[in-house]
Amino acid sequence: MADAPWAEIREKFQAALALSRVELHKNPEKEPYKSKYSARALLEEVKALLGPAPEDEDERPQGDDSLGAGDHALGLPAELVEAEGPVAQGAVRRAVIEFHLGVNHIDTEELSAGEEHLVKCLRLLRKYRLSHDCVSLYIQAQNNLGILWSEREEIETAQAYLESSEALYNQYMKEIGSPPLDPTEHFLPEEEKLAEQERSKRFEKVYTHNLYYLAQVYQHLEMFEKAAHYCHSTLKRQLEHNAYHPMEWAINAATLSQFYINKQCFMEARHCLSAANVIFGQTGKIRTTEDTTEAEGDVPELYHQRKGEIARCWIKYCLTLMQNAQLSMQDNIGELDLDKQSELRALRKKELDEEESVRKKAVQFGTGELCDAISAVEEKVSYLRPSDFEEARELFLMGQHYVFEAKEFFQIDGYVTDHIEVVQDHSALFKVLAFFETDMERRCKMHKRRIAMLEPLIVDLNPQYYLLVNRQIQFEVAHAYYDMMDLKIAIADKLRDPDSHIVKKINSLNKSALKYYQLFLDSLRDPNKVFPEHIGEDVLRPAMLAKFRVARLYGKIITADPKKELENLATSLEHYKFIVDYCEKHPEAAQEIEVELELSKEMVSLLPTKMERFRTKMSLT
Amino acid sequence: MASVKVAVRVRPMNRREKDLEAKFIIQMEKSKTTITNLKIPEGGTGDSGRERTKTFTYDFSFYSADTKSPDYVSQEMVFKTLGTDVVKSAFEGYNACVFAYGQTGSGKSYTMMGDSGDSGLIPRICEGLFSRINETTRWDEASFRTEVSYLEIYNERVRDLLRRKSSKTFNLRVREHPKEGPYVEDLSKHLVQNYGDVEELMDAGNINRTTAATGMNDVSSRSHAIFTIKFTQAKFDSEMPCETVSKIHLVDLAGSERADATGATGVRLKEGGNINKSLVTLGNVISALADLSQDAANPLVKKKPVFVPYRDSVLTWLLKDSLGGNSKTIMIASKNFKFFFFSIQCFV
Repeated sequence: MADAPWAEIREKFQAALALSRVELHKNPEKEPYKSKYSARALLEEVKALLGPAPEDEDERPQGDDSLGAGDHALGLPAELVEAEGPVAQGAVRRAVIEFHLGVNHIDTEELSAGEEHLVKCLRLLRKYRLSHDCVSLYIQAQNNLGILWSEREEIETAQAYLESSEALYNQYMKEIGSPPLDPTEHFLPEEEKLAEQERSKRFEKVYTHNLYYLAQVYQHLEMFEKAAHYCHSTLKRQLEHNAYHPMEWAINAATLSQFYINKQCFMEARHCLSAANVIFGQTGKIRTTEDTTEAEGDVPELYHQRKGEIARCWIKYCLTLMQNAQLSMQDNIGELDLDKQSELRALRKKELDEEESVRKKAVQFGTGELCDAISAVEEKVSYLRPSDFEEARELFLMGQHYVFEAKEFFQIDGYVTDHIEVVQDHSALFKVLAFFETDMERRCKMHKRRIAMLEPLIVDLNPQYYLLVNRQIQFEVAHAYYDMMDLKIAIADKLRDPDSHIVKKINSLNKSALKYYQLFLDSLRDPNKVFPEHIGEDVLRPAMLAKFRVARLYGKIITADPKKELENLATSLEHYKFIVDYCEKHPEAAQEIEVELELSKEMVSLLPTKMERFRTKMSLT
Repeated sequence: MASVKVAVRVRPMNRREKDLEAKFIIQMEKSKTTITNLKIPEGGTGDSGRERTKTFTYDFSFYSADTKSPDYVSQEMVFKTLGTDVVKSAFEGYNACVFAYGQTGSGKSYTMMGDSGDSGLIPRICEGLFSRINETTRWDEASFRTEVSYLEIYNERVRDLLRRKSSKTFNLRVREHPKEGPYVEDLSKHLVQNYGDVEELMDAGNINRTTAATGMNDVSSRSHAIFTIKFTQAKFDSEMPCETVSKIHLVDLAGSERADATGATGVRLKEGGNINKSLVTLGNVISALADLSQDAANPLVKKKPVFVPYRDSVLTWLLKDSLGGNSKTIMIASKNFKFFFFSIQCFV
């Protein structure tokens, strides 16, 4: 090939590339793709100058040639054939042009034409795809085809292409390893070719994107664990190649931890959260290669917001871990079961033994210094379910630390819903800690703390805008008073002579619980204060529970006055009756509160007798 | 709680489409809308198992493609079906939200605003509101105060469209107040007495909207616009003075079904197998994974098990007071489909 046309070809190609990179909004309003069409024209010219494609004598079109992803998908590795000699080089250059034409057509939403060019590119390169000269281009062409097919909603086809790329990358790295040629280099003069380091950087970026696309594919295929794994790998690679923005990376890692928490993979969750802390700490200090996605003016505010958000992710970690432990150790009335506790402890030994092997399988962020920094954070908190109060308290304290941190940003004025969620989490931390606490007085104190933090919130909230939140708080406060009352009754039972003081206390708690359950039930009434005939599905169970507890509460009021006692029993009966009647009329309700319904039916049959006896006793005195 | 209604409306073919001999591929029957993919041969399933026809059911399917058809749904009818409820709910103290969704050219403006002589949903709602206000004040039953604001959400930033040129037009903060609910800090409010006032403000606001490129192959960033009418009634309820505030949000949703280049559209994509090209969207993918367990069947008893940082949709956040609690939400979708080689095959 003569030099003169080659220089011309090179220049046209570079011009085409430059036009391809022009941002679309820079084009005239009525011609948004003008730059793309110009680029296309130049590419076509280059194609013409290159001459016709070398004849593929030994390549007959295969049956399912349109896929091209066949081999790797079937697990067949590629054979190394170097792209040497004029025929091969000609094919490669043509392939580069076909690639860019393909991407060009896709960018202008002409998918079929795009597909044609990309498939042609693959066909030209196929023989040489494992070579140093071609592997990167082949992978990129496949990746683009994967994206194209995803737009046509043919996810499996997209998957085949992307997995083929993944396999090819791995094979190349294993068998050859040296940083391959970047596709742009085929049209660069020798002196402008890239350094090894740059080649490696670009190739690794291609693969990172490959993994990211696969993560999305698996997500659409609902293979969620795999998707998370690939997201995890993508994050890891961003760190490795210094291609990340600290705040964004940190929040992504923290969010990923929430996925792991849902799956009860607490070791992985802890790792993500710890890494998030460390990387977040790099904000503003470390220079990375990636551009920031947030506008400069917002950075200080966003910084504090992200900090608060990461804190909230930590809160959920601590809370869920504790709640998980509670679930595995509680008996059928919600109290700690000693046998189950022993079981959990026995399981712990097994978990510790397996720890190393689990850690090896998991994706670990960072090496060297970074790894150490992350470990330092990890060491401060356990990933194992707490088996006793001491262990639970550690988690509680950590959770509480993050509550305070979260509240720094999520203040009530400005972030009402978020602030309340944080307070609810704080309350939940106390609640679950109470489960581990053996002393009843101390448990009472914990519930008291919960009430103290929740009650004031309702006062300031506009019920019209915060209906759901209001109801949640009313319900939770009522339940806290209810639990406190039960505890005080248990304490009183243990005393030989329960004094009037504790009786007063019990009744006062009872009254408060009633107040809040009543408030909650009243919130269900329509604007004319009428209680709904048909209770909505989303409030059905809580409404029925509320009614049940109100019934029980009336039955627990301690009074020396027999007339009052009778009244209370009557009210109690009324509420139990309501439950039984409602469930009869609405069978779906019966399903929601099986246990309570059974108890209600019992009470409906027992109470009238009890009341009768009472009346008789009264008339005799 | 919230009652949501979804309606779809199809418009007649325009001159361009007729010139191109485009085929009409929508059929409507009661609430069902059927679309036929002419690319797939009859009786066959095409080369990838796709069906020739697909049917969707909505609360309302408005057929407005042929004025001569007995099934033709006029502007008046659209208002009667959807708009009267909005007016009614405002007077009852509820919030309402009307979303209009559809690509450029799908007939959204006609449905929402209408043209001279044939007003759309919004003018009719306003007329309904004001005429009832006039009637009620005539009988001294109550006094009213109507304010409007108009904002635009563009790339997740909020902008006041009715603000005079000052430095604070871009990126207003969205906050929540315990008593006032969600609000936009420093968003200007304007008193209106009649539809004329409303129209004037809407026109002024529209001029300020971020212009997007026109044409079918539009890939530039898009914006959502929310026009809010805040309606305060002061009356006496059995001798006690009481004030109710209701809001009507008229939302013009950006028309794209796909994520744009930056991955931020304000509308979370849940359907479609599209792969996002840029790593900027990694966060969205991870958030979606973390979100998996969040649809708690009973938010009152079981609160959210994990925390997913709020990623996008300033839109949903702002309309929280309309989307939950006491509200009626109505969505009108103008359909605009494209099949690959019918490059400008569109119908609404």
